[in-house]
Amino acid sequence: MSSTSTSEVLIRKLQRISSLRESDLAVLRGISIHEKEFQANQDLVLEGDRPSHSFVLVDGLVGSTKYTGDGKRQITSFFVTGDIPDLHGLHLSAMDCTFSTLTPSRVGFMRHDTLRSICEQHPRIAAAFWRSTLVDAAIYREWVTNVGRREAFTRTAHILCELIYRLRAVGRIDDHIADIPITQAALGDALGLSTVHVNRTLQELRRKGLIATSGGQVQAKNWPNLVRAGDFDTTYLHHRNPEAAL
Amino acid sequence: MARYFFDSGDPNHVFEDEIGIECAGLEEARRAGLDGLKDLTKDTLKDFDGQQLFVEVRNENGDKLLRLSLSLKVTAMDDRLNERL
Repeated sequence: MSSTSTSEVLIRKLQRISSLRESDLAVLRGISIHEKEFQANQDLVLEGDRPSHSFVLVDGLVGSTKYTGDGKRQITSFFVTGDIPDLHGLHLSAMDCTFSTLTPSRVGFMRHDTLRSICEQHPRIAAAFWRSTLVDAAIYREWVTNVGRREAFTRTAHILCELIYRLRAVGRIDDHIADIPITQAALGDALGLSTVHVNRTLQELRRKGLIATSGGQVQAKNWPNLVRAGDFDTTYLHHRNPEAAL
Repeated sequence: MARYFFDSGDPNHVFEDEIGIECAGLEEARRAGLDGLKDLTKDTLKDFDGQQLFVEVRNENGDKLLRLSLSLKVTAMDDRLNERL
C-alpha cells in the first residue's frame, strides 16, 4: 500500500471524530509516513522509550499493555486501523506503557517534529489530534469500569462488542458475523481473567446463541442481544456519526 | 505442550470445557485450574452455607487428572444468630 492510502486511513480516522476542511486534508496528505510490517506479538514502542515518532495503525490490531512487577500482563486497550495509539508521546516524552501487535500489522511512523509544526500552524488539525487522545482516554475509562466492576459474562460480551463495532467502523468487518482476530491469551489479558474462565465465559455466550467459537476465533451471531448482554453503549467511542457504524 | 480441558461448576451443574488450553505440563495445568477456580468463585459464589465449587482437569483422552474444589462454610459466632441462619 502506498503512503497516500496510509494518509487516507489517518484522514478517515480523524474525520470520524472531528470536523476538518479540505485544506487540512491536504496538509495531512503531505505528512511523510514511514511504513513497516510487523508479525503478531511484536513490541512497537516500549515502556520507558522516548520515541521521536508516533505511529498510525494502517492494518491489524494493536494493544497497549502494562506489566506488573511480577510479570503479569494487562492489555489496557485495543487499537484498530486509523488509530494513533502513542500520539500522547508528542507531549509526554517517556512512554508509560508498551504497544504491541496482537495480529500481523502494518504501521506508519510519523516524525514528532513534523506533527508539532503542523499543530502549530493548523489549529483544526491540532484539535483533531487532541480529540483522538481524548477518545483514547475515554476508552481507557470504559475499560477500567469493565475490568473492575462487570462480571465476567458481561465483561467479555462488552469487549467483543467494542472490538466488532470499531472494526466495522473502519471497514475491517463487513457485518456482525465476522471473525475476531484475537488469541485466547490476549483476550484473557484484556479482560483480566484466567484463560480457564475466559473459555468458560465464551462457551456460555455461545450456548446463549450470542457468538460462535471455533478454535481461537470468535464470531458474533446475535448483535442486538450481544449488545444487551455486554452492557454496551457506544457513547464513549465518540463517533460523530454513530449510526453509520451500526 | 498438550491440551488440557477444565470442566467446572458445582455438584448440581457441570460446565464441560470444549475449548481447552495448551499447557506445558500438569503443573502448569494445575496453576491454570487454580486461577480458573478463583475467577469462578468471584463470579458464582453465593451466600449459601455448604456451596461447593470445583474445577476438574482432564487430558485429550478424557482421563481425569486433577480436581480442585472448595466449599463455603458460614458459621454465626453467636448462638442466637445460629438459630436464625
